[in-house]
Amino acid sequence: MSKQRQLFQQLFEDNSKKVYHLCYGYTGDSDSANDLMQETFIKVWQNLDKFRNESQFSTWIYRIAVNTCLSYLRTVKRRTTDELNDTIIENYAEEPSEKQEQIALLYKSISQLDENERIIITMVLDEIPYPEIAEVAGISEGNLRVKIHRIKHKLTEIYNSNERL
Amino acid sequence: MKGFDEIQQLWQGQKPEPNVSFDTILKRLKSNRTALMRKLFWQSIAVGIVVLTALWIGLAVDFSTWTTYLALAIMVGCIAYYFVNQLTDYKNISRSSHLLSKPQDYINYLRAFQQKRNRFNTRNYLIYEICIAAAFALYGIEMYFILPLLTFVGIFLFVIFWFLICHFVFMKQYINSENMRIEEMIDNLERIKNQFE
Repeated sequence: MSKQRQLFQQLFEDNSKKVYHLCYGYTGDSDSANDLMQETFIKVWQNLDKFRNESQFSTWIYRIAVNTCLSYLRTVKRRTTDELNDTIIENYAEEPSEKQEQIALLYKSISQLDENERIIITMVLDEIPYPEIAEVAGISEGNLRVKIHRIKHKLTEIYNSNERL
Repeated sequence: MKGFDEIQQLWQGQKPEPNVSFDTILKRLKSNRTALMRKLFWQSIAVGIVVLTALWIGLAVDFSTWTTYLALAIMVGCIAYYFVNQLTDYKNISRSSHLLSKPQDYINYLRAFQQKRNRFNTRNYLIYEICIAAAFALYGIEMYFILPLLTFVGIFLFVIFWFLICHFVFMKQYINSENMRIEEMIDNLERIKNQFE
């Protein structure tokens, strides 16, 4: 097995789950999330020689994942929140346990946020360090902290109001 | 009522996991490369055949007017221009190094790319159409000396009618739908760009 392939496999194993969560939070649909995750890792492979050790591998991969998600609207017309919610509910319909319902509700709530908020909050939920999120989103850490504070508040409100409904 | 910490715990205990394996990605990488090579190969072959045929016609057939040679050259130029443009855009997309930029810069790149494609599909198409019409008109000079007058007038009227249909019906429809599609994309990109500021 070549060194590059070994490295790629390691990167895939270490990051695929979090990249998938990011894509799922952004699209609200598991099929699209799987497609975007595949596309992200294809781009990772194609650009592996461009990695300059200026940041962590994970930061570099998230940046590619975020840009891949952002270009999602180039090919697919942006769906309305209602459409996203229907898909999310369908995806969880197989195992309607209380926890699964709560997770479906969480994805539904995330889908009601703006695009950049969805990206930031999924990384916060996955406990990615703030400096790394700031580098991925291309904003200052101070600006990011303000945004995170606001998004956390917004998500909690949306989630609780959805739960009441 | 849940607080953010409880929401985070819920998130961390979630089941959704990717159902794409490392091998699937490798397979897709290989098939993507093959599909791209195949597409480019057949496009190049098709353009090569058309250009060679045009050159062969120009050399083998003894046309009586220089305008026909000019018409052939214009046709070959148009095809080559279109092909080179498609190839350059394809290369730009597949190179994908801009994927490593900051999201805001990436959105700027996407906007610029969409605007460029819009210009290519609309304004440049008009120039392309004028060139093809000029090529037909130049070839018409040769036909005028060869064909019986009535046949020539018939063909001439048919070609004019066809160009008018293409310009006022098909092209207008195409430009309108393309403009709407691209404007919507650019609006969406603008909205996301503002979110990152």
